[in-house]
Amino acid sequence: MIIAAALCPAPPLLARELTGADPVLPELRDACLEATAQLLTAAPDLIAVVGVAAQTRHWDPRSSLDLAPYAPALRAARTCSDEGDGNVPPVPLPLGLAARLLDQAGYGADRVLHSVGEQAPAWDCAALGAQLAAAAERVALLVMADGSARRGPKAPGHLDERSVPFDAGVERAVRVGDMAALLALDADLARDLMATGRPAWQVLAGALAGRQPTCDILYSGDPFGVAYLVASLTPVAESTIAT
Amino acid sequence: MSDPATDDAPRAQGVLRLRDTSFPPNQPLIMGIVNRTPDSFFRPGVTWDEPAAMERVHQVIAEGADIVDVGGIPAAPGAQVDVAEEIRRTAGFIGAIRAAYPDVVISVDTWRHETGREACEAGADLLNDSWGGHDERLPEVAAEFGAGLVCAHVGQQRPRTRPFRVAYADVMADVLQHVQRLTARALAAGVQRDRIVIDAAHDFGKNTWHSLEVTRRLNEMTETGWPVLVSLSNKDFVGETLNLQPEQRLAGTLAATAVCAWHGARIFRAHQVAESRQVVDMVFAIRGDRPPARAVRGLA
Repeated sequence: MIIAAALCPAPPLLARELTGADPVLPELRDACLEATAQLLTAAPDLIAVVGVAAQTRHWDPRSSLDLAPYAPALRAARTCSDEGDGNVPPVPLPLGLAARLLDQAGYGADRVLHSVGEQAPAWDCAALGAQLAAAAERVALLVMADGSARRGPKAPGHLDERSVPFDAGVERAVRVGDMAALLALDADLARDLMATGRPAWQVLAGALAGRQPTCDILYSGDPFGVAYLVASLTPVAESTIAT
Repeated sequence: MSDPATDDAPRAQGVLRLRDTSFPPNQPLIMGIVNRTPDSFFRPGVTWDEPAAMERVHQVIAEGADIVDVGGIPAAPGAQVDVAEEIRRTAGFIGAIRAAYPDVVISVDTWRHETGREACEAGADLLNDSWGGHDERLPEVAAEFGAGLVCAHVGQQRPRTRPFRVAYADVMADVLQHVQRLTARALAAGVQRDRIVIDAAHDFGKNTWHSLEVTRRLNEMTETGWPVLVSLSNKDFVGETLNLQPEQRLAGTLAATAVCAWHGARIFRAHQVAESRQVVDMVFAIRGDRPPARAVRGLA
């Protein structure tokens, strides 16, 4: 059962070393670490991480972040302790960033790393959520998901006016615990808006299985035209709400 | 202890110490030129007056210089400048820089030990011996003060002389052999290993072909492990290569600067500090030795 959940974005720049001398968004990193740390305070048996990638699959939990594809110059600076044991294939960026957050928060117990396919339909996402929730008695879930990358003329995907209401809808759903709204997100619209987090939000909704969480929004902004949302969610007792 | 310059295997660059200041190997340093002369080749006399020279110091530091290099004698032949006059031109001014900038690294461009001593007393951190060890007592001064010492190759030239039909079987081999002799002499005089810098001394005892060759092969110097200083700024090898007058040599200077930076030179002596700073920082980032100032593109 899910006892706590955290929602973080997964831009490459979350990795401090990628932004060069300038820390760029330290407040975003702080918020993500805070959300992750709150998972630990719930004393989970296991933390499950979910992030969007090409395919839905399980990853070796010893895997960790590989930044060399984003910054080849950092390859020489890699260390075994920071980058896994070298024999484990690198994981997709969202999972690697999440693994680093868990490390930074001091979490050393069991973890599951699972990607969800970028094309996965809502029911598959929800099913994966249910599966992760059933992985242990007390499961904490770390969800890595980004909003639209089309929130302004300088955004990676330029401006699409629909991005603002779309992201506002996601944030509202997270804030009030409306998981049904997340399950009902339009996958085609999300793809048009480069809102890559859609499948991961729907995993979150499936994992909570209709239990309405309370929520703290720790960060919400789009400094580079991509919507970043950091939230800490605590499910309330079962059967207090029906979907 | 073995001497880095005698080993063939490439050696890693280490920390450079200039009196009380230490620099890690991946930090390139710009040395801003401040001439206390009426007759240097580039913009002659512009910093002959002390107030103008101090303005120049403020400017080069504001533009990103890590080191200020003060010289009292032009490299070219010309009016005699004796020791007393050289000291009069440099030492007091170095004291004034030290008073204004307690932490900036100050270099004195001199071959004379008497001038070096007065400069160090006034606060100099580096003895930039551009004339290749002409005065054998200069290393003693570096050792006494813990100052850095530049060991430069000038072939057979004496101070303030121009090359005349110079020829080398292999100019870079001669450079390496000569600076090895100078670094060994410096070590023997008590200069600490991490306070020694080597310099191919472009144009000094070299024709343009030689200076182009040492630029092309500068990696052979950096691979010795000694920190390498390059003094390229607006020099004749740039002018002859591009057929340009001193005031027109910035682009050529920066091209040579980029190549030397790519090869791992550590100190870049320059007139145009801001431009040199940008070029060197850019090349060190391309090398992977310096992160971008701020990277966001494609990472959001």
